[in-house]
Amino acid sequence: MIFRDIGMATASLVGSLETKLAAVRSAGFSQVMIAAADVVSHPGGTAAGVRAVRASGLEVTGVEALRDFEGLERQLHAYKVDVAKAMLEICADLGGRLLLVEASTSKHASADPAAIARDLAKLAVLAVPLGIRVAYKGQPWSRTARDFRQAADIVLRANVPNLGVAVDAFDVLASGVPLDDLDILDPDQTFLVQVSDYMWQEVRSAEEQAVTATHFRVFPGEGAHSEALSEFISRLDTNGYVGNYSFDVYNDDFLQMPPEVVSVRARRAAVWLAETVLRRALPVPNVERLRALRS
Amino acid sequence: MTHATDREAIPEPQNPLGVDGIEFIEFATSRPQALGGVLETFGFRPIARHRSREVELYRQGTMNIIVNAQPADVPRTVMPTERPVISAFAVRVRDAQYAYRRAIELGAWEIPVRAQAMEINVPAIHGVGESLIYFVDRYDEFSIYDVDFRAIPTVDPHPPAVAGMHFFGIVQYVGPDRTADWTEFYSQLMGFTPLPRQVRFGIMPSGLLLESPCRKFFLQLIEPDESARFAAMDEHLQRVGLGTPDVTAAVASLEKRGVEFLATDRVHSSERGALTKPLLGGMMFELVKSTPPGGGEQ
Repeated sequence: MIFRDIGMATASLVGSLETKLAAVRSAGFSQVMIAAADVVSHPGGTAAGVRAVRASGLEVTGVEALRDFEGLERQLHAYKVDVAKAMLEICADLGGRLLLVEASTSKHASADPAAIARDLAKLAVLAVPLGIRVAYKGQPWSRTARDFRQAADIVLRANVPNLGVAVDAFDVLASGVPLDDLDILDPDQTFLVQVSDYMWQEVRSAEEQAVTATHFRVFPGEGAHSEALSEFISRLDTNGYVGNYSFDVYNDDFLQMPPEVVSVRARRAAVWLAETVLRRALPVPNVERLRALRS
Repeated sequence: MTHATDREAIPEPQNPLGVDGIEFIEFATSRPQALGGVLETFGFRPIARHRSREVELYRQGTMNIIVNAQPADVPRTVMPTERPVISAFAVRVRDAQYAYRRAIELGAWEIPVRAQAMEINVPAIHGVGESLIYFVDRYDEFSIYDVDFRAIPTVDPHPPAVAGMHFFGIVQYVGPDRTADWTEFYSQLMGFTPLPRQVRFGIMPSGLLLESPCRKFFLQLIEPDESARFAAMDEHLQRVGLGTPDVTAAVASLEKRGVEFLATDRVHSSERGALTKPLLGGMMFELVKSTPPGGGEQ
């Protein structure tokens, strides 16, 4: 398969967990990013949600998303550590190896890079016994890391091997971050790349970006920025990124469409990404093999 | 030169917890007598039983081994099966509560208080796989065993070690590309330091060696070899390394006691080390040439 390193996200689809997984599977994907809410809200309980994912045969790209974790103090910090542990355990139960952490938007969060790095290092240590890597993603409206550059700075400062960066193409394109800046990313500490496009030519304000990000994304190849998106992916690929690509598409319209229709669009996007952007003609070896070839 | 470190800034080895060796290693098995029989061939003697649980203490020289047959009541801990597995190791520290709190602060998983399998009042954190790491600070005047264990009558509570054997280290199997993660875990939480790749002990040279901050024991992290890299991730404490100043003499006396060692082209006893044949379905011990910490105190 030429897109085994490209997956969908359950958050892009509507319906029961089983329905979502079946749609992803039938569109030919081999992996899926799981929204923790989809597992714990399973009518049969969390254990049944876990069984559904395991039974789907899909590989778990990771679990999303731990939010507002870093920069808190005392009881708020302790509370968030409990939340983080619960999410890590779900991730481990699912057989997932990656937890996505979105940079905090909490008003209570400190913006002190040392405190943020310390908290993320602690999260990463918590994840070690479970075999999970922590991918930290900047958000334009965050107080702690607004984009991948700041996220990468914090990851570097924390300096823990299983803490890395997640990059979201939408955030990069919509906030106009120069693609040259992708070169600062260490491919080995880049754990996940999320890909989506959007329809507007430009996003005028942070508020508009927040709304677009959560309601109007589309699959790669469907939006107004195919060229920039191609450039974005090619850069990462050339720089040596060998991790997974996840379609991080939140769209209100898609949540009113049958999941199997949406996943067919996703498949088209995956083929576009693999053939047109990454110029693949042959099946992709898995990540470990790629890494071995590179070293 | 008046002092070795006058000319360069040589950092002191970090030992924030006052780590001071291994207090005990615990095995879990549903067949404690079978394991006990094996341990006795290695020179361990049963010296005490837990007051309320199916837990026994074996000892020789400075080494304590706990055999635990009690079904686990804490999630993510070992459920005893026929094949013995290493279910915990206990690290001696200056202040166990401090070590525990600091570990939790840095990202360790706590074991619910008072729910430890042995019921001894020793703080513990989750280690690799289903194993635990205990912190013990009472090992000088009186010991953790005095409270919850009952001595077996007429048995010498301090049996001497065969061939000067002492705990040398533990081999831990880790998943592909996981050596760095575990190195971080042990160095953050306990001050272990990785040794250069060319430093090797014994006859099993794979992986990365981590040295305890007290320099009394080692953890050896081993990733799967190429052919097994794509299997499902399995991480666990694989075997115990026993140090002895004279491996050849130790092998001879253990063979006399009925222990069998591997003798293949690739792995065979030498003066550097030896590896036992798998016992009870997979358990192994390794012998490594080493002088006991402290120069021979027993």
